[in-house]
Amino acid sequence: MPGRNAALYLSLGVVLVYCAVALFAPVIAPFDPFVISGPPLAPPDAAHLLGTNDLAQDIFSRLIWGTRATLILGFLGAVVSVVMGTTVGIVAGYYGGRIDEAVMRFLDVMMTIPFFPLLLVLTIFLRPGIYVTAVIMGLLGGLGSVRIIRSQVLSLAVADFVVGTKALGARDGYIMARHILPNVLPLVGVKFVTSAQHFMLVGIGLGFLGMGDPNVVDWGQMIERASKNGGIVLGLWWWLIPPGLAVTGISLALAWFAYACEERINPRFQVMRV
Amino acid sequence: MIDVCDLKTYYSTGFLCRTEVRAVDGVSFGIKKGETLGLVGESGCGKTTLGRSLLRLIEPTGGRVVFDGTNITALSRKDLRRFRPRMQMIFQDAYASLNPRMRVRESITEPLRIHGLEDRAGIGRRVRELIEMVGLNEEHLNRRPYELSGGQNQRVVLARVLALEPEFIVADEPTAGLDVSVQAQILTLFRDLGRDYHTACLYISHDLGVVRAMSDRVAVMLKGRIVEIGPTADVLDRPCHSYTRRLVAASSADRGFSRPAPCPALPGSPVMVEVQSGHWVEAAAR
Repeated sequence: MPGRNAALYLSLGVVLVYCAVALFAPVIAPFDPFVISGPPLAPPDAAHLLGTNDLAQDIFSRLIWGTRATLILGFLGAVVSVVMGTTVGIVAGYYGGRIDEAVMRFLDVMMTIPFFPLLLVLTIFLRPGIYVTAVIMGLLGGLGSVRIIRSQVLSLAVADFVVGTKALGARDGYIMARHILPNVLPLVGVKFVTSAQHFMLVGIGLGFLGMGDPNVVDWGQMIERASKNGGIVLGLWWWLIPPGLAVTGISLALAWFAYACEERINPRFQVMRV
Repeated sequence: MIDVCDLKTYYSTGFLCRTEVRAVDGVSFGIKKGETLGLVGESGCGKTTLGRSLLRLIEPTGGRVVFDGTNITALSRKDLRRFRPRMQMIFQDAYASLNPRMRVRESITEPLRIHGLEDRAGIGRRVRELIEMVGLNEEHLNRRPYELSGGQNQRVVLARVLALEPEFIVADEPTAGLDVSVQAQILTLFRDLGRDYHTACLYISHDLGVVRAMSDRVAVMLKGRIVEIGPTADVLDRPCHSYTRRLVAASSADRGFSRPAPCPALPGSPVMVEVQSGHWVEAAAR
């Protein structure tokens, strides 16, 4: 199916471009994102591709540097969430019984607490930097992945090849690493991409609410500044629109990529396509 | 070699009002070295649970399994793991018994690596030896389970299990998922290999024809209990328990055999009664 593959490669390409921009931000950005680089509120011209903001900082440079913070929030959060989700999910699903029961009841309690308000409260109290924010998001958001991974592991743990390997005399750790993990890995991959997208948007939300790390530039804080300090009122599109578009772009690309991957790993979808 | 004494496996469900299912309810029997005991019974009568409880793949609720003088039911987890290579299990669904992400080579090497039985060169040699023994060739080693047929997969499983040279194998309907011609090949292979290695075997099946061909003795299971046990020909040709009779009648009816000769009436007490040497019947249900 060429159309589906095209979506997969196109979205992957877009994500890679964003990663490259984040990686080479110092090379690409013409100005330091924090210094006064010209007159304030200047419209786009040759020197300032997207003009300047109210503090006379170059918006294009801020956009480029902002990619870094936003991707770190998304991907670091996703790594934490997926690693925790996979580990706890596999252990709970494999051993079952009391361990599983304890983990699940704890999750039930945790999941009644709404994610975003809890995150807000924690951010207000802890005033974390960008990395700690990502880890907190990952831990809170990973609770959902625990359930998904665990449900998959429940059926794998009683599969004949797992029971058979146990009968060979293999250790539990060995079975979990060599037999269970490889069989949940595709699911973990898709979960990683969807989590990254989710955490990126949450990170933007935090920035927009003024909870972002003031030491870094991220798109959420850019939008916040634009909306609070007159970007909307004055109709300065080059101030407000670019970070918004950048968010939309990466978010769409990640969502597409996740859908395309999911379709590849889930045989049921392949049958339905016929 | 194996002595099972009053083995019980109960499943309990429910938190407040516990209900108990007695899957295996006080079973005793023995299997000698090199002997195959066939286990027949309807679906859900506890055959599979019994097979798995013997190897402690399901923890039994009570009773004892003594293997070559070692009480398996009393072993610690660690000791049990060391003991496991001596007793193995083969499942009904060959495809499901192999990790879909592992190549045949890895699946067969795995037991050798887990127990550190051979060095690298030795493992390579042993794997080639095993794969030829079960009637496949080296070219199959690089395939994955979904690239092989059911019969071929069951051969791979056999190679994987035989790598450890077990003294006792529980075979849980290993041919039920295969078509008849392949079934015959696998059965012949299984019997020959069992003979070569002098392996004791518990052969679980609901197909009386297969059990007749494979086993030296037969045990008939009904609702978690063994109701009749004895030499194959004795039990299947002169069934004494009413359930065994129905079973034999059902399987011989469509093959045009005559109905089995009835057996002398037994006194009605709930104990096992020896009707002939080595042929025991539960007498209560008559």
